[in-house]
Amino acid sequence: MEYILKNGIVYDPANEVNGEKMDICFKDGKIVEDVSADAEVLDVTDKIVMPAGVDPHAHVAGPKLVVGRLYRPEDERRGVAQKTKVTRAEAGFSIPSCPTTGYRYSRMGYGTVCEAAMPPLEAKHTHEEINTIPNIDINPLPLFGNNWFVMEYARENRIDDLAAFIAAMLRVSKGYGVKIVNPCGSEAWGWGMNVHGYDDKAPYFDVTSREVVRALAKANEQLGLPHSIHIHPNDLGHPGNVPTTIATLDSIKDIAKSTKASAGVRDQTIHCTHAQFHSYTGNSWKDAASGAEEVADFINKNPYVTCDVGQVTFDETTTMTADAPMEYDLFKISGLKWANKDIECETAAGIIPCIYSPKTPVSTLQWAIGLELFLHIENPWQVCLTTDHPNAGPFIRYPKIISWLMSAEKRMSMIDNGEVHKWASKRTGLAGLEREYDFYEIATISRAAPARIHGFQDRGALTPGYNADIAVYDINPNDFDPSKDPEGVEKAFSNAYYTIKDGQIVVKDGDIVSTKQSHTIWTNVIGYEEEEKQIIDSIMPFFTQYYSVKWENYQVHDHYVPNPTRVDVEAK
Amino acid sequence: MTYEPPVTDYDHIVENCTCAFCGCNCDDLDFLVKDGHVVAVRHACRLGASKVMEDMDQRLLVPMVRNEEGVLEEVDWDTALDTAAKYIAESVRPVFYGWSETSTECMKEGVELGEYIGAVLDNQATICHGPSLQAMQNAGYPIQTLGEVKNRADVIAYSGSNAMNSHPRHLARYAAFPRGYFRQRGRFDRTVITMDPKFSDTAKMSDKWIGFEQNGDYGFYNALRAVLKGKKLQSESVSGIPAEDIYELAAEMEAAEFGVLFFGLGLTHTLGKQRNIDIAIKLVQDLNTNSKWGLTPMRGHFNVNGFNIFMAYETGWAFGVDFCRGYGRYMMGETNTIDLLVRKEPDCFMVIAADPGAHFPNGANQHLANIPVIQIDIHWGPSTELADVVLPGSFISVECGGTSYRMDGVPIWMKKAIDKPETCRDDEWIVRELKERVMKLREEPNVADEYVPNEGLACLLDK
Amino acid sequence: MKTITFDQKKTSSIALEFDELITDNIYSWTEEDFAAYKVPVGNSRFPITDYFDITVEGEAESPAEVKMILNGDCNRVKYIGCKMSAGEVVVNGDADLHVGAEMSGGVVTVFGNVAAHAGREMKGGKLEIMGNTKEFCGASYIGEWRGMSGGEIIIHGNAGKQCGECLVGGKIHVLGDCDILAGIHMTKGTIEIDGNVNRWPGGQMKNGNIVIHGKVGRLLEGFVEQGIVTDPELDGIVYPGRYIEYKGDIALNGKGTLIIDAEKNRDRLSTWIEEDDEYNAIREYRAQ
Repeated sequence: MEYILKNGIVYDPANEVNGEKMDICFKDGKIVEDVSADAEVLDVTDKIVMPAGVDPHAHVAGPKLVVGRLYRPEDERRGVAQKTKVTRAEAGFSIPSCPTTGYRYSRMGYGTVCEAAMPPLEAKHTHEEINTIPNIDINPLPLFGNNWFVMEYARENRIDDLAAFIAAMLRVSKGYGVKIVNPCGSEAWGWGMNVHGYDDKAPYFDVTSREVVRALAKANEQLGLPHSIHIHPNDLGHPGNVPTTIATLDSIKDIAKSTKASAGVRDQTIHCTHAQFHSYTGNSWKDAASGAEEVADFINKNPYVTCDVGQVTFDETTTMTADAPMEYDLFKISGLKWANKDIECETAAGIIPCIYSPKTPVSTLQWAIGLELFLHIENPWQVCLTTDHPNAGPFIRYPKIISWLMSAEKRMSMIDNGEVHKWASKRTGLAGLEREYDFYEIATISRAAPARIHGFQDRGALTPGYNADIAVYDINPNDFDPSKDPEGVEKAFSNAYYTIKDGQIVVKDGDIVSTKQSHTIWTNVIGYEEEEKQIIDSIMPFFTQYYSVKWENYQVHDHYVPNPTRVDVEAK
Repeated sequence: MTYEPPVTDYDHIVENCTCAFCGCNCDDLDFLVKDGHVVAVRHACRLGASKVMEDMDQRLLVPMVRNEEGVLEEVDWDTALDTAAKYIAESVRPVFYGWSETSTECMKEGVELGEYIGAVLDNQATICHGPSLQAMQNAGYPIQTLGEVKNRADVIAYSGSNAMNSHPRHLARYAAFPRGYFRQRGRFDRTVITMDPKFSDTAKMSDKWIGFEQNGDYGFYNALRAVLKGKKLQSESVSGIPAEDIYELAAEMEAAEFGVLFFGLGLTHTLGKQRNIDIAIKLVQDLNTNSKWGLTPMRGHFNVNGFNIFMAYETGWAFGVDFCRGYGRYMMGETNTIDLLVRKEPDCFMVIAADPGAHFPNGANQHLANIPVIQIDIHWGPSTELADVVLPGSFISVECGGTSYRMDGVPIWMKKAIDKPETCRDDEWIVRELKERVMKLREEPNVADEYVPNEGLACLLDK
Repeated sequence: MKTITFDQKKTSSIALEFDELITDNIYSWTEEDFAAYKVPVGNSRFPITDYFDITVEGEAESPAEVKMILNGDCNRVKYIGCKMSAGEVVVNGDADLHVGAEMSGGVVTVFGNVAAHAGREMKGGKLEIMGNTKEFCGASYIGEWRGMSGGEIIIHGNAGKQCGECLVGGKIHVLGDCDILAGIHMTKGTIEIDGNVNRWPGGQMKNGNIVIHGKVGRLLEGFVEQGIVTDPELDGIVYPGRYIEYKGDIALNGKGTLIIDAEKNRDRLSTWIEEDDEYNAIREYRAQ
């Protein structure tokens, strides 16, 4: 089937197309240079055309999502919608059910989402959920930062073994890249403790976060994985965590990026996720203030670093992270229901409901710091749009964030009208920031940059040969001032005029018109087969003794990945 | 127990099979197969082994339909499926109950059928650990995988659960006895506490038995929480336990390096129901201030947790989800099987991999006798006597592969070891067939003409 | 003023759902509108006129001017008055689940018994039940920690388990007895019970008031006796008489107040002063 999107105004930052009126053709699910005269014409005259969105960090599938859904029926009730001829019944606000997740991303014009935390032991569960989410492709990142084997290798600096272990685990869990959450801290949580700072040691394992992160970064570059290490640094959400954040990013300065073709797309060697939660100064919440400028300054000077923001959106949401000790601290403050899930030899997770209110000082401070990061980081290729869904807010608020970024007037009116707490002006520099994003920069932070950071070679751009993942929004940029009409921006980006996924029209005029099975994107390392076998043989006695499942049942069989997109990495 | 000589007469061994009995889902079983039958099972407990080996005992082999004389009559698959599909298609308030002894792959077909026709989907949680789910919805859910217990736990408490009898390998494989990474001496490195009115078999092998009075659970845990908060008890004894014993227990629990509370139906079904679990969860949360504690409900069927997890990610709610209006609803006392049956609401009941005839209260079963009941199961049981259509399924983990979730949420692929009897079908196939036949018989009810977002989603409302 | 009368023609074993038939929606409806309306029953919809004869009298410009009268045995009619904001509903008979749930204004009166979840998450208005009610009266939705936040529920009969669970405001007055765990998890508001109470009132309460005029079966350890109080005043309301005051639930450092009738629960007190002029005077006053 051939299509031509006619007369759209195209923003395609990867190909440096900035608001040009042109036609986009696609055929059999791929973007092509040209189509025949039989092609179906989709008239998008004077509407914004962008590659479909890529979310670089969200929590949409997996065991902790299910714990959230299981224990928050009151949240599910907030998003109920009746089934239609195309869609199934919807449920959920901050932690929507799987079908709902797919529909809502589609309506916003998204095509790919990274599931940012997959415990290998429960990878089958994550994949079952991915298969239930329609319309969006998902690349899950397995958790490595508190894995017992990883900590052993890091302590003894066995980088070759670690590389083989990563290669094996990506295959076993059908994962995409290396995710590190609160390195050594979640292991310390096994004893009800945490690590404080980057050079604190995990109990018993006698290894610091610094050693774990550096070892994983070296192994990641040795393999030449498409994505760099994806880190959630220590001390999340604690006032005064800026030095930890900067120390983490600074520590891998000397590690060179892999020269392999598979790593050729990306520029960075470390991706710092939800940087907003890691940019606080002060000693306690009493004197906390914004450290956004310092963190942004570091990122501006160091092109090997990228980040996503984790913007707070003022909603009642659910926080869930593998940083379990932090969640317990939050529980102690809020007193709301606390869920926790420790996973043997690998990780832990904590979950609590969280209310971000513009009337409370801390939420407002977090909100302002997030926006400051967006506005201080000069190169939009180094920063991505996220809410760390659902931690700082549900993903359906992305359009709202876009409207804030595009309108200084809107931000100022929120501060001036007292819509937000006065900490926004007193403790951050947000009020002094005039910068406004344009559509080209929005296209960068929500599509092109995340795709490049994840090393995708088939999406995030409208290059011929790429997947036909396209979003069209009903705005004429030549006749529309986003700075003056933030509501118009939010409305348009909430309800895509067209969302096209692999050449199939899934959304038309904000409504789901068809659904399709999502792909699971995973990385297949080639060339380490012998090393992988050796490393698995070497861990087997330990595995058999201390895991509670058999190795045969630990692996994710093909049964769970019925629709894979395999990314082959020539590691040797 | 008498000595039984080991079985030596077998054709081949299938290794790493998963036990399809309790929520422990032991995945280290070896099936000894001869002539297409499992003749012996290694590593399993007696409960699991006998379930696998005696798979042909009272086995349902052919589809049956109850005829006008009220007698079950053997029919072919088409007739049976068409009859069942007709019952479902014509129903106004269908309830699909069970699912806990089948795979998530089968549930997937079931939820599609349920959403299509507007049924209530519910599982055994409604009669067993439903209160636990309600409590965690009110209070939270601090859990850990069983491997964490094995490697770290030095204090293990069983409350209202007789694991020695109900989950025989729980203590041996995960909790009390195994040598964990930080507990190299196994049982000697751990303290086992049993809280149970009865001096059960689990209590007999425990270091400590707290035999509080029946229905005294809530008061006992409340006192324990007060003591943990540093308060002095006003009474000399609470729920039959002397005050000094409560102080001692609180101190012991707080001194744990890693403690785990396992609780069973003894806690969920005494006076106070979900509130007993509620306060136990709060207790565990309090204990985490100075120690590390978690808890795990001792789920009964091997995939009862699987259904709750499956429903949560497919529909948003764990169990008792009512689709009759075209969207999901979950409400205690309204969308649960027992309440519906006692209120005499359902007019069609499909039971899959469960036995309401044996487990439901009399009032509920009385209504089942009056309405069409479709049974998908592998064994003859009291429910077969209530059934109007009987569809013989196959045995997950023995005759058919599938996914299940252990009591702690770890997913396990249960592989196939032998072939099913020729006349039986896989559960997944049966439910898919029913779905397709129902779709032909009745147009989908309660479909919205267009998508109307919930008022909770303000940003999507005005387009 | 508009009066809409529903006279029952036949009962249904499957519950009818009245969530669309609330004053906010039907204040402008005519008899023809009702004749065309199909009520949800299970997975289907059937004409409402199969079940009720509906007569409409008068005119209404707003929901507040509507009086809805249901005559008959409505113990299979769910969601009566659910989410309504104004107007009046009278049920002459029993009512099913969720009567007056989430209502924010108006008055619902039931002259019969009511099933569970009556007045769930009520925000305002008044719900009066002449008979008994079952579990979770004035409670929260499962998992929600903010229950009934305003308005008033009066139950002339007995209330079931966990009455006023997670109460965060408003008042519940039970004139009969109450089952276990009344006011569990409550943080604000008042529950007054004239009859006897089974075990454990106020379990895990953080704040708020519970007043019990009858006998209490068993109290939790988390409640600490504060002594006898006379004519206590709670949230501006004076409760005449002598009461034993408790604070709790200290198991979670709660600051709630529980007062129970002193004479009926005198076995709880180690010392009891028989000769108390003040108290005798009150007793005589009450006897009048």
